[in-house]
Amino acid sequence: MREANVMLLAKSCLLLLLALVAPGVLFAEETVCIQCHGGQPGRLGEPVNLWRQSVHAVNGISCHSCHGGDPTDFANAMSPARGFIGVPKGEAIPDFCGRCHVGVREDYLQSAHGEALGLGGPQCVTCHGNHAVRLATPDLINPQDCTRCHDYGRADEIKSAVVETDRMIADLEHSLEALHRVGIATKEMRGELFSLRNDFHRLFHSVDVEKVRSQTADYQQKLGKIRNRGAAIEEELARRKLWGGVVVALLVLGGILAMLLHKAYLDEERR
Amino acid sequence: MENDRIPPERRRFFLIIMLSGIGAVLAAAASWPVWQYLAPRKGVGEKEKVTIPRDQVPLGGTHFFTFRGHPAVVLQEKAGVFIALTAVCTHLGCIIKWLPEKGEFECPCHAGSFSPTGTVLGGPPPKPLESYPVSVQDDSIVIG
Ligand code: FES
Repeated sequence: MREANVMLLAKSCLLLLLALVAPGVLFAEETVCIQCHGGQPGRLGEPVNLWRQSVHAVNGISCHSCHGGDPTDFANAMSPARGFIGVPKGEAIPDFCGRCHVGVREDYLQSAHGEALGLGGPQCVTCHGNHAVRLATPDLINPQDCTRCHDYGRADEIKSAVVETDRMIADLEHSLEALHRVGIATKEMRGELFSLRNDFHRLFHSVDVEKVRSQTADYQQKLGKIRNRGAAIEEELARRKLWGGVVVALLVLGGILAMLLHKAYLDEERR
Repeated sequence: MENDRIPPERRRFFLIIMLSGIGAVLAAAASWPVWQYLAPRKGVGEKEKVTIPRDQVPLGGTHFFTFRGHPAVVLQEKAGVFIALTAVCTHLGCIIKWLPEKGEFECPCHAGSFSPTGTVLGGPPPKPLESYPVSVQDDSIVIG
């Protein structure tokens, strides 16, 4: 009886631990899409493995989030009646991705890239890939990829215009993450940063060097404001650390003095 | 020993003074955070209100403004009916947009959509948008 109880306790602890360490991916793992396609060889199974390394998987965006269908029912998973829309053809891709990435789609469609859609111009997947889609960085703008369609000159200009701001964003993300780890409430600042990053990434989908250049200063100023707030918190933490050290030193000193006082009493008694 | 030259009661007196001094500093150090926690906040009071001229909010349209340091929006849903909401999406913090043709707010980041009163209609946002009290006074809309 007691053994059974111990086993139960151990199992619950294990479950609790799993729940704590398992990333959001766990939820996405459950779907019938993954159960079925995950084990298939070649073309049918490959997307699952690619998706597992993607930013979508990390954020719990699973097959059905994009392709529709019923992720809980083997028989009807791919039924159009359950909203299955399958694989979009090239020209339909911006609308497919744009169901979630509305802002980026809007700027892309107005850009030279968007205008060339259907005329050999690039769409989302051309640069970002499909199932293994990663968090976008300026590295996506590179000679190998851009020169598949045109020369690199203008692309390089855009890249140099965005690199500095993007680095500022990445640095800020790291420092807010570090503050969050030591228990500071950074949700609001992280939200503002996310919003700015998203707007900024939208901006360079316009592939308009002048526009990117003219708005970059504005973004940098807004980022600077968030950075100042973060820096103020960091300063406060440093001040607390310093004062904490002083308090500890005083406590030690107080302890030594108390010992000496004790000794003084003993000496007095002895006389 | 050197100690023996000073009589113990003088040593005791000196040590008590030193210890009380340290005690006082430590007590002050301990009560400082307590005081900081209890003291009224400086700066913007929770009661701060924002007044917007009524003609800045067209019928079926919105006006974006800053409310208590955060982006906010006021919408004239029907003639004379104003709704004020936070303009920060509850998903990851992007600023929402008003789509007059749909009569909905939409978040440009991941297509979260909200009704005119801020309830979630679709997409990833986990919570409705927080709303603020609005009153109409003559030609002004007072929020807060
Ligand atoms: S931030 Fe608004 S939907 Fe994601």
